[in-house]
Amino acid sequence: MDTAAPGKNTAARIPLDPRTKLVMLLAVNIVLLGGGFSGISVIIRPMLAFLPFILLLSEKKYGKSVMYFIFIGAALSCEGFLVGRTQGLLNLLLVIFSGLNTRFVPGLVMGYYVVSTTKIAEFIAAMERLHLPQSIIIPFSVMLRFFPTVRAENSAISDAMRMRGIQAGGKRPGALLEYRLVPLLMCTVKIGEELSAAALTRGLGKPVKRTNICSIGFGAADCFFLVVTTCALLLWAVF
Amino acid sequence: MDKKLNAKDLINIGIFTAIYFVVFFATGMTGYIPVMLLALPFLCPLAAGIPFMLFLTRVRKFGMVSIMGIILSLLMMLTGHPWVCLLTGIFFSLAGDLIMKSGGYRKWISLCAGYAVFSQWIVGLMIPLFIMRDTYFASIRSGYGDTYADTLMAITPAWLLGVFIVLAAAGAILGAYLGKAALKKHFKRAGIV
Repeated sequence: MDTAAPGKNTAARIPLDPRTKLVMLLAVNIVLLGGGFSGISVIIRPMLAFLPFILLLSEKKYGKSVMYFIFIGAALSCEGFLVGRTQGLLNLLLVIFSGLNTRFVPGLVMGYYVVSTTKIAEFIAAMERLHLPQSIIIPFSVMLRFFPTVRAENSAISDAMRMRGIQAGGKRPGALLEYRLVPLLMCTVKIGEELSAAALTRGLGKPVKRTNICSIGFGAADCFFLVVTTCALLLWAVF
Repeated sequence: MDKKLNAKDLINIGIFTAIYFVVFFATGMTGYIPVMLLALPFLCPLAAGIPFMLFLTRVRKFGMVSIMGIILSLLMMLTGHPWVCLLTGIFFSLAGDLIMKSGGYRKWISLCAGYAVFSQWIVGLMIPLFIMRDTYFASIRSGYGDTYADTLMAITPAWLLGVFIVLAAAGAILGAYLGKAALKKHFKRAGIV
């Protein structure tokens, strides 16, 4: 999991406010999950689908962004050109392939972008500006911090299983659940305890106002992206 | 024991919400096959039963399930589900929380019933399929093509909402028992619970 290395070549990146990123995530998900290739969606959907590509490119994640570009381009053109011209089973298969990918992959990639480029402290600062209560902010930020951990632990469990020649599933579908979830829960409980100890030493949950070193705020880039996504969303909703 | 949620509890809520969401999402991906969509209200609470039961042993305070429900609904909103799911998510998680509270988060019957009520939030995600039926199917037809829309329409008559509710409750109860068994078999022995 490559998270944003703090301090290193941050100047080259587009500095975006976490709130802008959340709005973009929302827009990408609403428009792409909503689906459809009628009317204005023909322009809006591909446009928003390529938003994560541009953002990843700006983060200098070239390999990932190009892969995404090719993938989503193929899925979108499949949905736009092929689905309307086929019938029956082939149609259903194409729908499942292209529909699944155009709907979920942009949102996932966008979510990856948001999580990997935003420091948790920035998230907390942004949510405090939105005046959310602490009892939402703390679990929410912990959760975001935890998705990469769950993924890392999960792949570690896969490795361990492969090394010992255990294949889950097969005869007992319940075993899949047990073999994966139980070790995952074991280590997340441990990690959670360490995490809360670390957070408590930094004064989390004390009735004082915590300071935050991150300076967030809307800049020119934020304005640009906010205007673009809001326009896209409005156009999509109206037409 | 302190009745209010402290920082440690809030962190635990965050961790278990993350795990719940991952399990939920992994199970939910199978819903793209039209027939599997019908089984989702059953499968999701079933699979999430193990983390949920462990979660219940870690916090045991009022608000834990509600906050989890609110955060899950917010995540659903962020991932493009209709806003209705925020209302149903908050309602069902709060109701589940109250039921569990009545048993002090320890009595098995209240935990089981509370989890069954909480799991109804998954049905909330499917409400547009029934209440805003016409507009929903129009958008599906334009996006997924006629074959998918017809298949989906044929397998989702309106009375199915009731079936979903029952299925979600059944899945939750089974999941609760599964979770209890897993706790007994693994976590008690490891000294985690």
